[in-house]
Amino acid sequence: MAIIEVKNLVKKYKISEKENGILGYIKHLFHPKYKEQIAVNNISFNIEKGELVGYIGENGAGKSTTIKMLTGLLTPTSGQVVVNGIVPNEKRILNNKQIGAVFGQKTQLWWDLPVIESFKLIKKMYEIPDEDYKNNLKKFTKILDLKDLLDKQVKNLSLGQKMRCEIAATFLHNPKVVYLDEPTIGLDILVKENIRKFIKDINKEQHTTVILTTHDLKDIEEVCDRIILIDKGTIIYDGEKEVFKNKYGKHIIAEFIIQNKNSNITVETIEEEFEIIEENETSIKIKFNHERLTIIDIVKSISKYCEILDMHIQEEGLEEILKEIYRGELIND
Amino acid sequence: MINKILAIAKQNAKEGLYYRFDLLLYIFNFIIEITVYVFIWLAIYNKGNQILGMTFEQVTTYYILVVSLNPIISWGINETMGNAIREGEILRELLNPISYFNYYFGIRIGELIESIIVGIITFIICALLFGVLLPSSLLNFIFFIIVISLSVVVVYFFELIIGTSAFYTNSIWGVEVFKRAILSIFSGMIAPISLFPEFLQKIANTLPFKDCIYTPISIYFGELNNIEIIQVILKQFIWILILYIIAKILFNKAVKSVTVNGG
Repeated sequence: MAIIEVKNLVKKYKISEKENGILGYIKHLFHPKYKEQIAVNNISFNIEKGELVGYIGENGAGKSTTIKMLTGLLTPTSGQVVVNGIVPNEKRILNNKQIGAVFGQKTQLWWDLPVIESFKLIKKMYEIPDEDYKNNLKKFTKILDLKDLLDKQVKNLSLGQKMRCEIAATFLHNPKVVYLDEPTIGLDILVKENIRKFIKDINKEQHTTVILTTHDLKDIEEVCDRIILIDKGTIIYDGEKEVFKNKYGKHIIAEFIIQNKNSNITVETIEEEFEIIEENETSIKIKFNHERLTIIDIVKSISKYCEILDMHIQEEGLEEILKEIYRGELIND
Repeated sequence: MINKILAIAKQNAKEGLYYRFDLLLYIFNFIIEITVYVFIWLAIYNKGNQILGMTFEQVTTYYILVVSLNPIISWGINETMGNAIREGEILRELLNPISYFNYYFGIRIGELIESIIVGIITFIICALLFGVLLPSSLLNFIFFIIVISLSVVVVYFFELIIGTSAFYTNSIWGVEVFKRAILSIFSGMIAPISLFPEFLQKIANTLPFKDCIYTPISIYFGELNNIEIIQVILKQFIWILILYIIAKILFNKAVKSVTVNGG
């Protein structure tokens, strides 16, 4: 049985429409006009226990709205959400006990107190057994390197230190499902890696289901097995990460180191799947569709213009694929 | 559940006591306030020994008690709650494994610990400076404590109602000024309610705020008999129930109807 079931979920926002000026404002006071905006439009998916799901989409695509409905913070306009047998917005407190959540920069740590005090309060609020608390604290301290942070006041921590503590606080009560909304925003690479490793480790050990929204696709590449891609409120892809890459990642980027260039490579001579990204006297970067062209074709056509010294080939990453999807180039391919 | 509320209270008190200098300033401020009251009434009493049946000593004691009780009654969570709603922190608070009302009750109790400390220190210093009358009997003193404790619950639900208004207004400053005005007039903070015109006395008698300051001080002086005190306590329970229901309805409605914006 799926731990998260989402069926025909819809969320519409009412947005008040005010006319400009004082008169318009007064008019609004007596005759409020509202415009409906659909944030999430009829989405359905199931998530199994222990899955690591990357929930991605542009700003305003409906990610946070979905997460808020999953956590019970927003009431769906229609449709159904069931998390481990509980309808979150009907039995919020009961649901809260089995989930954990990180919302961007909002913190559950107490600003003026040492970190460990917040952990102790979490232990009491979630009624975590002594044994579990001790084990988790020890384990988390090790993976997230919290040893020197626990006795520091939260306000004296850097952003990265704070987020590491926040993540630890979120997993302390062994939640069944964890929602991470932009957990790595504004963090440096080392902290990001640290947090990614932590999520993977805990998932392996506890089979915690994790739903991760992020704009850093490196997070998704390294942590998630499955991608749900949402655009303008509808799901446009739901499936394995690798399948996604194979389906949409039809391009290869090749960089050639060249010399003795005799003329600029003109567009007329090349086929349409062949795109020059960068070109100068000593190097040229080319993107091409590997289903229609082979690297040999490219080498042949370039060698007419110059001498090739070296080359690097790189498959298109998630980021490039998504850029193309957002630009509308790949939809319904 | 009580364990959890107390744990939150302890946490909040710890955080509050972290700003000890703030608390010292409050105490200093209150002492000055009491001094001003004492000197005003000293000037009034120069012309006669008794005004409306109160001696100068009684009036001094009255104001020392008023100012010492003031933080216990009138601090409260509305500002914390209002800011949390406005800044979106409420999202985090709604994800706690304990209900919002219980969580904030913990916060309120934590604040109470701070305000009791401030109140007691203020009282002791002013008692030494100006002299006070002691409670009329031990039983009355116990009733005094009981009525104040119930008052904290009464004002807690009132504060929840005030705080909930932050869902609808951008700043709860205005509503808070309103709350303070209501509290300070009808609790007897500004002047003893017995000095009010009759129609205001009637309003004050119906509202629960009189029992936050004026009534407990009357009990302290031994002006109420036991039956009257029991009536006061019953009235407090009824108000707790009424305010709880109002707060619950308003808060649930607000949470339900307010859609939190964001992508």
